[in-house]
Amino acid sequence: METFNNPKPVLHLLLLPCLLLYSSIAFSSSVEAAMHTNNWAVLVCTSRFWFNYRHMANTLSLYRTVKRLGIPDERIILMLADDMACNTRNKYPAQVFNNENHRLNLYGDNVEVDYRGYEVTVENFLRVLTGRHETAVPRSKRLLSDEGSHILLYMTGHGGDEFLKFQDSEELQSHDLADAVKQMKEKHRFKELLIMVDTCQAATLFNQLQSPGVLAIGSSMKGENSYSHHLDSDVGVSVVDRFTYYTLAFFERLNIYDNASLSSLFSSYNPSWLMSTAYYRKGVYKRSLEEVPVTTFFGSVMETIHTDAAYKALSRRNSGKFEAQTSLDQSVHHSERRTPVKVNDRDETHNINPEGQEGASKCPWSTFCNKFLKAENVDSLVNYGLVAMVPFLMISMWLVR
Amino acid sequence: MIIAFHESTPLVDNLSNPLRADKISPTRANDAIRLPTSAEQKKVQKLLQQWPKSLKLTTPIPPNCRTVVVKQHFDPILNPTSIRSFPFLWKSVDIYRSPLPFREIDSLSTQLRSDNLLFPLHFHAIFVGFGPDPDQLHRSILSEITKLTSENSKCSSNYTLSVTLDLGSRCLRSPTSSPHSSSYRCGSITATDFVQNDDVAVDERLASVFGRKTKEYSVAVVKGGSERAVVGKHRHAWMVVDDGSEVEAAVVKVAELLVKVFINGGRDEGSIRNEFMPVGADGKIVLSFNLLNADPLDWVYDWDFEKIDDALLAPMIEALGPVANISVESQVLYHTPKASFSYWNQKLESYVFSTRDLPFFVNSNEWHLDTSIAAGGRSKILQFAVYVPSAKECPLLLQLPNGVMSKTNGFTSPMWGGVIVWNPQGCLKDSEFEPSAKNIIPMQDLENMFEVFIGQLRQLFGFKSANVYAGASGDWNLLPSERGFTEWELEVLSRQQACFNLHSCATTLGSLSRLVQSLPRMIIMDEIGKQVKFSLEAAKLALSNASSGVYESSAASSSQARSLAEDAFFHPSIMSVSYYSFEHCFAVYSPFFLPVSMHVVLAALRELRRYKQEKAKYLVWKAKANTPS
Repeated sequence: METFNNPKPVLHLLLLPCLLLYSSIAFSSSVEAAMHTNNWAVLVCTSRFWFNYRHMANTLSLYRTVKRLGIPDERIILMLADDMACNTRNKYPAQVFNNENHRLNLYGDNVEVDYRGYEVTVENFLRVLTGRHETAVPRSKRLLSDEGSHILLYMTGHGGDEFLKFQDSEELQSHDLADAVKQMKEKHRFKELLIMVDTCQAATLFNQLQSPGVLAIGSSMKGENSYSHHLDSDVGVSVVDRFTYYTLAFFERLNIYDNASLSSLFSSYNPSWLMSTAYYRKGVYKRSLEEVPVTTFFGSVMETIHTDAAYKALSRRNSGKFEAQTSLDQSVHHSERRTPVKVNDRDETHNINPEGQEGASKCPWSTFCNKFLKAENVDSLVNYGLVAMVPFLMISMWLVR
Repeated sequence: MIIAFHESTPLVDNLSNPLRADKISPTRANDAIRLPTSAEQKKVQKLLQQWPKSLKLTTPIPPNCRTVVVKQHFDPILNPTSIRSFPFLWKSVDIYRSPLPFREIDSLSTQLRSDNLLFPLHFHAIFVGFGPDPDQLHRSILSEITKLTSENSKCSSNYTLSVTLDLGSRCLRSPTSSPHSSSYRCGSITATDFVQNDDVAVDERLASVFGRKTKEYSVAVVKGGSERAVVGKHRHAWMVVDDGSEVEAAVVKVAELLVKVFINGGRDEGSIRNEFMPVGADGKIVLSFNLLNADPLDWVYDWDFEKIDDALLAPMIEALGPVANISVESQVLYHTPKASFSYWNQKLESYVFSTRDLPFFVNSNEWHLDTSIAAGGRSKILQFAVYVPSAKECPLLLQLPNGVMSKTNGFTSPMWGGVIVWNPQGCLKDSEFEPSAKNIIPMQDLENMFEVFIGQLRQLFGFKSANVYAGASGDWNLLPSERGFTEWELEVLSRQQACFNLHSCATTLGSLSRLVQSLPRMIIMDEIGKQVKFSLEAAKLALSNASSGVYESSAASSSQARSLAEDAFFHPSIMSVSYYSFEHCFAVYSPFFLPVSMHVVLAALRELRRYKQEKAKYLVWKAKANTPS
């Protein structure tokens, strides 16, 4: 994944008033003790074109995983910016693989894509999050969560410092994301939200997040690239990204009954395998990660209550006097709180330098990227470049005259 | 060149349309640098003198004076044309914002916040033929009630109590001039009314005495006969006490009835909370009934849904009308195995599914329940599923954690719906039932099933379905209504719904007004303005209805208010603006305007320099012209 060095800081000065105003929306009453009702997943692949095959494979793999762990299709919003399965360059038509062993066809059965191709835009994405749809938009394309919902938001694509590219033409900025999340919180559209992003400099996307109940994990820190895992020589492109690959590896060992904790997932990311540092941001998330099972977000454990008695509306119609049901089942059964078990008790060092490993093959302009990354302050370099362009432009105009 | 620029459409117009940016076409720089001859310069002088009068830019200009014209209109601020065009420019960059009643929104939320929404309730206790002084009774019941009422967070009730001591020929009332108890005629209830064993008949008798129209909750206490306490289907209850029992015990029990049953609806605190009322934001519920044939190779079942719909569901839906607008759908699905496994229990000769595994019962990937097209985006769909197990796992029973088998064989999930497992005849060993290609579920079974479903729906609304309310001071039998919900339960629901809707409406409108005020460049369409206005009107109506005790219409208009507020908040036009950041604007348009602005600045500098040169020349010429004369 290439790093897009972003000349944003200059613009940020101009922007600040606009954004500050918008983000000043205050929170009203917060529902603290809301009960968990259901699980939702929003899975987004943001990039087009054949060479971004792996992003679609990433998203479809996550889709399969959450579906296997119990989130039904009607509560998954799947957004794929391109159709790799039917791409003419695909040697295996109508199939998508995330591994060179080709054992698992991700595009096999029951894949319900809600937004595809050019429908995957920043605007539509934000509409899904905030719920501001046209009236004609069907239920299957809406995020119909409530104040007891747990939402998993997974995004993959090309990104950079505080932005994520959509369709190679638009950007989702960290401000946009934070504003959308804030709006969601304001309208009680979730109880807990996990944002998972696999992109270069993913951690920067969370910089503006402030809403409570939001947990975020990104594949790389600021200034780091996220690399793909391996190249499939038959398909001709890389088929999966490292962060997603190891996420899937973690979930392969789990089934719907498992109660591995989120902290065991987060600590399973080994920076030397990832070649970047997986970064999670707890922010205002209250619960301790050791106590939160991964199924909080990646599965769907229904809250169930046993029905004690029927309402004898009909059978009482004809009889007069009745006797009290004395042996009542007063016990209301809630599904037991599942105590998470730490699956993975590995301690690892955290800052592993990704440079100098074969993973550089992933970055087409890798040498260029690396040079840039070595510079202390990339942004200022870019700004100087811009300023330097101005006299050049003026001179050229004088000459043209 | 400059003319071309500032006469073209206003800058902002171009901003809004990148394709039109090409209109700003700088004329070739060469045009501007031809120096005027001396003859031309004379004309220039004339023109300069005339200039204030020649207001129009469109005044025909001799072709050889073009450079002069450029000079003349150089200063766009002073140019009268541009001054006059300012209103147009202003208008064209103006953003339409439908005026929103911010002050009224604030006053609604402060009103709801400051003085809690108070619902007036009138209680009437009648002691037939016995009891001490009514004033004393009045005092003791009130003190018991205040002991029981906890300070509710958002909405509370503002109750009044009247006590009547019916001595047959005359009545003693307390307070003496209460408007509510005066409608009761003395001697219309006697102890003999309660002797008969038929509770339903007693209930009807009391209903005719109290009248169904009066909005008060009555409880009659009668001495003599076997002890019994029953809550009717309407708004009254009665209690038969032993001859030897104390009045004090009856007083405690009456107070508990009034608070726990008539105010709170007989539900536990914190079973299913207010926020989880299964009503969509637009005040609609779709009840989706699904018959799931797990394996159609073993047997296929169908049901006579229309009949049961007419018999059981239609009256209930009508009764729930003020609370929610309910519609019903049904479907029969095949190949729908459950997600988790059961085990064979030899003793029970059946397959047993532990309730501990219930969270994994629903197989969401195979049960395609949410197929509704009738439900709008913000409606709530409640799924009710009858699961017909396959031959491999039949009969299937649910087992409670304490080892007891479930009586209903069903469970609910909050905000989702409910499931019942129905075992067909075919799998019972001793039956001679031969499953044919298509079977119909027998009507009796179907009725039992739907009674469980109604129980589940009640559970989702927070009510219990058992016909006994076990209070601290004794049990009350609850008469079930054919409509699924008794009148007093519906009123509890209406009050709760009105309260919840009004608060939700106020917070939504508050959020909207904060959002709108924080984005001064956001277009607000008339539709949003209208929705907010109507929402506020409906909320006011709901408030006034609530304070006058008309709960049903209060609930109905409050749900309308909430729905409109949600419509306004989720209006799709808001999104496009709030998402459109200035950064995008800058990034998109700077490639168009950066080169143009460079030209403009350079040309301006050039003009300035040339003006200085010309002026110097002119002064020299003038000095020359002056010296000979």
